[in-house]
Amino acid sequence: MDVDLEELAAIIEQLDKTEFTDFLYEKGSLRLHVRRGGYIPDNAAQHTAVAAAGTSAPPPAALPAAPAGPISAAPAVAPAPTAVAQNGHSPAVSPGSLPDGHLLVTAPMLGTYYGAPKPGEPAFVKVGDSVAADAVLCIVEVMKLMNSVTAGAAGEVTAVFVKDGDLVEFEQPLFAIRTAS
Amino acid sequence: MKHRIFVANRGEIAVRIIEACDRLGYDTVLGVSTADKDTLAARRAGRVVTLGAPRPADSYLNMNAVVQAAISTGCTAVHPGYGFLSERPAFAELCAEHGLTFVGPSPDALRALGDKLTARRLAESVDVPVSAGGTATSAGEVQQLAEGIGYPVLIKAAHGGGGRGMKLVENSAELAEAWQLASAEAEASFGDGTVFLERFVQDAKHVEVQIIGDRHGHRVHLGERECSVQYRYQKVVEEAPCTVLPEATRTLLYESALRIAEALDYVGLGTVEFLYDVSRDSLAFLEVNPRLQVEHPVTEAVTGVDLVREQLLVTLGEPLSFTQADIRLRGHAVECRITAQDPDHDLRPSPGTVTRWRPSAAGGLRLDSHIYEGYRFPPFYDALMAKQIAWAPDRAAAIERMEQALAAFEIEGVTTSLPLLQRILAHPVYRDNTVTTHWLNGLLTEKVPS
Repeated sequence: MDVDLEELAAIIEQLDKTEFTDFLYEKGSLRLHVRRGGYIPDNAAQHTAVAAAGTSAPPPAALPAAPAGPISAAPAVAPAPTAVAQNGHSPAVSPGSLPDGHLLVTAPMLGTYYGAPKPGEPAFVKVGDSVAADAVLCIVEVMKLMNSVTAGAAGEVTAVFVKDGDLVEFEQPLFAIRTAS
Repeated sequence: MKHRIFVANRGEIAVRIIEACDRLGYDTVLGVSTADKDTLAARRAGRVVTLGAPRPADSYLNMNAVVQAAISTGCTAVHPGYGFLSERPAFAELCAEHGLTFVGPSPDALRALGDKLTARRLAESVDVPVSAGGTATSAGEVQQLAEGIGYPVLIKAAHGGGGRGMKLVENSAELAEAWQLASAEAEASFGDGTVFLERFVQDAKHVEVQIIGDRHGHRVHLGERECSVQYRYQKVVEEAPCTVLPEATRTLLYESALRIAEALDYVGLGTVEFLYDVSRDSLAFLEVNPRLQVEHPVTEAVTGVDLVREQLLVTLGEPLSFTQADIRLRGHAVECRITAQDPDHDLRPSPGTVTRWRPSAAGGLRLDSHIYEGYRFPPFYDALMAKQIAWAPDRAAAIERMEQALAAFEIEGVTTSLPLLQRILAHPVYRDNTVTTHWLNGLLTEKVPS
């Protein structure tokens, strides 16, 4: 159950330079599962989106261990294995196991995801922001056509599952929102 | 450069294309609709991206989504398969604009061939036989043209396809009204009201030539197929070669196909279709299908050429790896299209869950399919489940092998066309090879004696 954080950081740094969609690393009782271009599958989603090396978010070892024993960390990352959703206060949210009162905002079409109106500008929203139902959360670009994605319900943004420039597929989860009651 | 091919199709042909790419060492990315995420092709592709909702317009026909997905996944080429975007000049252009190789002929060739009147004129210009016909503008000219051709005549939409937009006219009294109606329908269906007249050939065989061209000016034909067993212009049983063609006619057929390929500087796979009037021993050009054809396996069976592999290589710039002299036809091949359609109810589609799927594994057979036990056959797309192909040294032996394959094929859960295929193969008219394109329509509308 012991993870050498430096080793883990080195692995992820190497991964970041390569092309892959699914990476499974097993050594003794350590099991590291990194995926990109997708989101966390239901069975791997008990404990949240995970931050990877180079970010300030806690590494997998700091998270609650999986009930089964070996660490199974499957960050929702694309295209680089970096942090996606972190809200330092409440437990992070993953698309596969949405807490009560949360809704998922999914991509209405396949395209390129942009979290800000223009490069360099602040993001439309970040985790912790309160949004109205008609608030624009991001843009999905398809062949130079910019499509705004709205929240659909008022509430607080609790997770952002993708990052700028990612290819998002039709119905891929983009945000989680804790709806205002 | 390591190629990565975007497969812009579904079903059995997506599986076929992925398999060809795998053997060439190319990466594959498959675009799917939400209804197709668990298909066999999705399991075999290197990567899968969801394009959109199940309806074809929201996914497989959505050009922007397909091209965006191909670019974003680092693809170098797009294979459109058949149907969907395979014959759209605008799609081929969009691919080119974004540096993607479209696995097919040039947009100009697609445009010329998409307009049947233009294709007909092209054929005429290189001395390829066409049936009597043409087009006119004024009502008087149309009457005159029809008289010259002789009734019955067929009105066809220049941009129609698959039998849509056709009207049969028996005499001059019906002509003017039918012409206007056909034009209005063509305008509504295809966005272009151009229609033309052709002599209606009552009893003809459908014969087509497989061609392939590279980007270095080489063009080769790979023999002919006969696809006369059709229901409402949909092919049901195909075979290669067409055994009734006299040698001189076969030579004319090949030369005609190659002349058209040359006129278009054709690149990739194409099929030049003809009607063959057996009693008059005359050929008439029908159209060119600028893509991989559903029935390509029968040609592969008699030539030994992997058409999808060659199609990928030539469109990616390789010279053809064989010349005309290298092509030898050997034996006879038959293909049966097994569809989820109910032959007892006008071949209506019968989607559902396939609970049993046990093909024959005997020798001389090939099965192109995306079906497996437990597969939920979706209602959104065409009804093709599998293509059973049988090869043998001669036609009679190939038919016999096919009959055994169909008899042994166990399918449960959905109603299929298997009984109809067996009925066709056992029929004396099919056995004698005197089938013409209207034969199956007649067979299916026959009143069953009670």
